[in-house]
Amino acid sequence: MKLPLSWLREFVRIEADPATLGERLSMAGLEVEAVERLKPAFSGVVVAKVLRVERHPNADRLSVCEVDAGAAGRASVVCGAPNARPGMVSALAVVGARLAPERADGDGALRPPLEAAVIRGVRSEGMLCSERELGLFDNHRGIVVLPDDAPVGRSLADYLELDDYVLNIAVTPNRGDCLSVLGLAREVAALFGLKLGPAHSRPAAPRLGHAAADPALSIAIEVTAPDLCPRYAALPMARVEIDDSPLWLRQRLKPCGMRPVNNVVDVTNYVMLELGQPLHAFDLDRLRERRVIVRRAGDDRELETLDHVKRALLKDDLVIADGVGPVALAGLMGGLASEVDNSTTRILLESAFFAAAGVARTSRRLGLVTEASYRFERGADRQGQIAALYRAAQLIRKVAGRCELGAVIDVEPHPLPARQVEFSRERVAGLLGISMSAGEMARRLRLLEINVKPAGKGRLVATIPSFRADLGEAADIAEEVARVAGLADIPTLPCRPLKDIGGEDQRRALLSVIRATLTGCGLTETKTLAFAAPRDNQTFAGFKGTAPVQVANPLSAELSELRKSLLYGLIGTLRFNLHREAQACHLFELGKVFYREQGELKEGERLGALSYGELAFKGLGERGRIADPLTLKGVVESCLDALGLSARVEFARLPPSLAPHLHPGKAAEVRLDTGVSLGQLGELHPELALALELDYPVALCELDVGELIAYGSLRKPVAPPPRFPAIRRDLALVLNRDFPVAQVRKVIAQADASLLESVELFDVYEGGSLPAGKKSVAVTCRYRAKDRTLTDQEVNQLHAKVTAFAMERLGALPR
Amino acid sequence: MAAFAKSDVRQSLEAIRAQALAELAESSGLDQIESVRVRVLGRSGELTELIRSMRELPEHERPAVGQLANQVKREIEARIESLQHELRLRKLNESLAQTPLDVTLPGVRFFHGHTHPLTQVTERLLDIWAAMGFEVVATPDIEDDFHNFGALNFAPDHPARDMQDTFFLDGGLLLRTHTSNGQIRVMEQRRPPLAVVCPGACYRRDELSVRYSPMFSQIEGFAVDDFGKITMAHLKGALTEFLRAFFGPESEVRFRASFFPFTEPSAEADVRCIFCAGAGCRVCKQSGWIEILGSGMIHPNVLRAVGYDPERYAGFAFGMGVERLALIKLGVDDMRLFFENDLRFLGQF
Ligand SMILES: [Zn+2]
Repeated sequence: MKLPLSWLREFVRIEADPATLGERLSMAGLEVEAVERLKPAFSGVVVAKVLRVERHPNADRLSVCEVDAGAAGRASVVCGAPNARPGMVSALAVVGARLAPERADGDGALRPPLEAAVIRGVRSEGMLCSERELGLFDNHRGIVVLPDDAPVGRSLADYLELDDYVLNIAVTPNRGDCLSVLGLAREVAALFGLKLGPAHSRPAAPRLGHAAADPALSIAIEVTAPDLCPRYAALPMARVEIDDSPLWLRQRLKPCGMRPVNNVVDVTNYVMLELGQPLHAFDLDRLRERRVIVRRAGDDRELETLDHVKRALLKDDLVIADGVGPVALAGLMGGLASEVDNSTTRILLESAFFAAAGVARTSRRLGLVTEASYRFERGADRQGQIAALYRAAQLIRKVAGRCELGAVIDVEPHPLPARQVEFSRERVAGLLGISMSAGEMARRLRLLEINVKPAGKGRLVATIPSFRADLGEAADIAEEVARVAGLADIPTLPCRPLKDIGGEDQRRALLSVIRATLTGCGLTETKTLAFAAPRDNQTFAGFKGTAPVQVANPLSAELSELRKSLLYGLIGTLRFNLHREAQACHLFELGKVFYREQGELKEGERLGALSYGELAFKGLGERGRIADPLTLKGVVESCLDALGLSARVEFARLPPSLAPHLHPGKAAEVRLDTGVSLGQLGELHPELALALELDYPVALCELDVGELIAYGSLRKPVAPPPRFPAIRRDLALVLNRDFPVAQVRKVIAQADASLLESVELFDVYEGGSLPAGKKSVAVTCRYRAKDRTLTDQEVNQLHAKVTAFAMERLGALPR
Repeated sequence: MAAFAKSDVRQSLEAIRAQALAELAESSGLDQIESVRVRVLGRSGELTELIRSMRELPEHERPAVGQLANQVKREIEARIESLQHELRLRKLNESLAQTPLDVTLPGVRFFHGHTHPLTQVTERLLDIWAAMGFEVVATPDIEDDFHNFGALNFAPDHPARDMQDTFFLDGGLLLRTHTSNGQIRVMEQRRPPLAVVCPGACYRRDELSVRYSPMFSQIEGFAVDDFGKITMAHLKGALTEFLRAFFGPESEVRFRASFFPFTEPSAEADVRCIFCAGAGCRVCKQSGWIEILGSGMIHPNVLRAVGYDPERYAGFAFGMGVERLALIKLGVDDMRLFFENDLRFLGQF
């Protein structure tokens, strides 16, 4: 809501400077986002009366005007405007005046000072100006027309209040009442302890003209949907002269962001801005059968609105209909067919209260938000309809000829009594954490026109003014009590833990260890958006669930689903960085993925990792190891170590059908010993890598964070270092080439030898003297006793036993 | 053959010593020293031979002469050793001087990665709340209308919903527009007293731009206890303590009345602009204050929605945008930096 300070001052005599005013409003919940300074685009222009207009002796199209500029004296000016006539009041630029720049898109510098000049042999001591020359409106058809009673000699900038401030206020959705100058004036009055001027807040009923009994102004009004329209008031008017609005009226609308249309429409907008009540003017003669019915659209399917758009109607949309069909979309926009235009002479002014929910529903469905719907949705003044009609009638009579008024028709099937809210002093004080007397509460509320009376048994009852739709219970009253004095009034009390601090936050601790391990391994954390294109979800389908989750109203087709996997985002990040100087990328992301499982929408947390290019520990000119699935596996193993899961996790060959995005020969499932799948690890399928034009393979991994947290633990068993030395024996076995190496360790570890402490792989070898299809696997067996140093002999015996066991169980040949 | 005279032996020893020391003094290499050693101390060296011949001296003369001989031998040996050491050291130093390290060369770095700046800020925020006794609870991103709106006192079709343009899924589900669903999820499950913070991703239909992202993160927090134990004054206390922990102990904090459907009264907390110290700048839009978070006393309708009696319980709630706090804290002015993942940006954290 844009609030010109000059307009506000018509209602309340606020002396504070705009910055102070803005600050105080902001503190009270009406956030002033900006204070705009308005300045006239000219100087040296005064209000002047044209006394005489004579033909220019040497030019047909020019005239010579004698003007009276009051204290500035009289002047004779040459003028080319067709509308100059004796007796009119206009704007005179005196010698030395500076006018608005020729072009609005220029550098904004004013034109050079005006000099007296001789035009076609006649001396001109100034210039009568058009609106365009003053930078007011783009109107150059003639000179400015001011009301006959405009003060001659006064500076035009002062007279039009062009030196002004506009407060741009972000009105929250609960404060529909503050979407008007009057509403904001009420707030200002309350906050600064000022009285609201009587100016226009309660316009008196205008005297009825002779037309009251004019049959042409009679119209029947009926409301058949009082739930959506609790009140419908209307005023017929005759002999209305449609024309442009006078300058002062257009000038009021302009800083509020409204474009002038014609005098009647401008008045309806003016009153809406001033009082907050949206109005609509129908061409009375275009209302068929002289009837207005406020009803649900029912079987009517369509209405063409003022903006030339044909709007589809639903049966529950509220419309204003005449005897034949809809003529307006209630609370949103009038219909084109009943529009007021230059031929209009009789109008029907509508001032209604439309229920917020109905307007909101239709507005949202049609994607149509108007100044009217915006206000109705946020709650108009439940009792503001008649005052607004009166105010509009008063203004229309001022600007659209001496029109005649019919009788006000006011349909309100169920008048609503003022709302009352019962509360206790203790309730309000207890919510705010203050001690305050009931008297002080009542005083503060009275500033906001809320009257408080005792209701017995220590309870109080507040009578809520009709414009405050937002106040319904004690908490609302508490807010008003706090707000009007500023929240700084409320003490600041320490807030200590309300309950015992529970056990350590296992989840956060584990995630933190995962991050620390990954960054320690050289991976950098990324964050990508959770939206994906369908084809990305097809390619990188994650490892749980079947179908993806679609967004019903996506920002674009590329973002129409939720990601099933983090891998696509990581590859996008790789591509992004390779285009920006990066040679290698080692990345991870912790985030959610989304999928369907048995029809239900599910979300899961994932750890995604991508490793590409050189690993970075290397000197100048040296080559680092190139990342591949095994280096990334090492990173994963470090994580599993940190989570205490290493011993329980195995990596198994993954059938290509389960991970089509991975290299069919280099894909693993990461699995817990119980069979629970933790995720996948492998190399990006070379076919997919092709498009990325890469130099190296891309190692990828995606793990289920939920499972890692469920099974992981930071509490690991701790043992003192061994007191006696271990004795090592190596063992080399010749196995089939495709025999999984991890199996060797696993099998040997099962040997019946309690002193066998560990089995570590140290070499895998193929070719050379080995038969084709075979490989040699070498392991180190470590033997140790807790209570003594083992002898060589003892160990040799043990190792022979272990070797024999391994050979037999693995079907291996000795090396 | 006449026996050696004692005096002859003495003279010979002196002569051997003088000559050896003189030669050693002039020798300039290990080879020369070695040849002196062999000639004098070797198996058939001069001194060795002389000592051997001393057996022929009369018994009573032997100890004195023997002592002298040993002294000469030790002296020459010591000189040889020290000369050798000196020479070796000189040679080593010479050779070390040949292979100097350019100490201005870069160190070979143990490369480490970086956690995302948003993670760092989130962790810091949670640390503060955890230290203040708030428990961290994870809540879902996919929500239903009740938990995201209805229970939070958003009436159907109320314009307050427009403040948060929603992504809809199917089956009446949506992507949460704020982490306030955490209030409902937790309160449904538990009874007061409660002090909880819920971090997480939120989604609104905004294009990714300098100021907005369709996905962003928030931290919702709330505390509920018996009516009177938790008041707006405690809310102010908690948020002031939090803001001072995050922005520095000197930070000036103010509370402005505001509106949120799920709190009443509502307040926004501002911090004195850290960029201009309140003088007014672009970041604070010349106001001298930066909006940090929204808060308020939990609306009675919210308490009712989770089956709490608002006559009996009261609570406060607050919510903050992590990106916004990160932008302010890091002095960065473009939201997109957080999601484009340029390693040249991420590597700075
Ligand atoms: Zn600033």
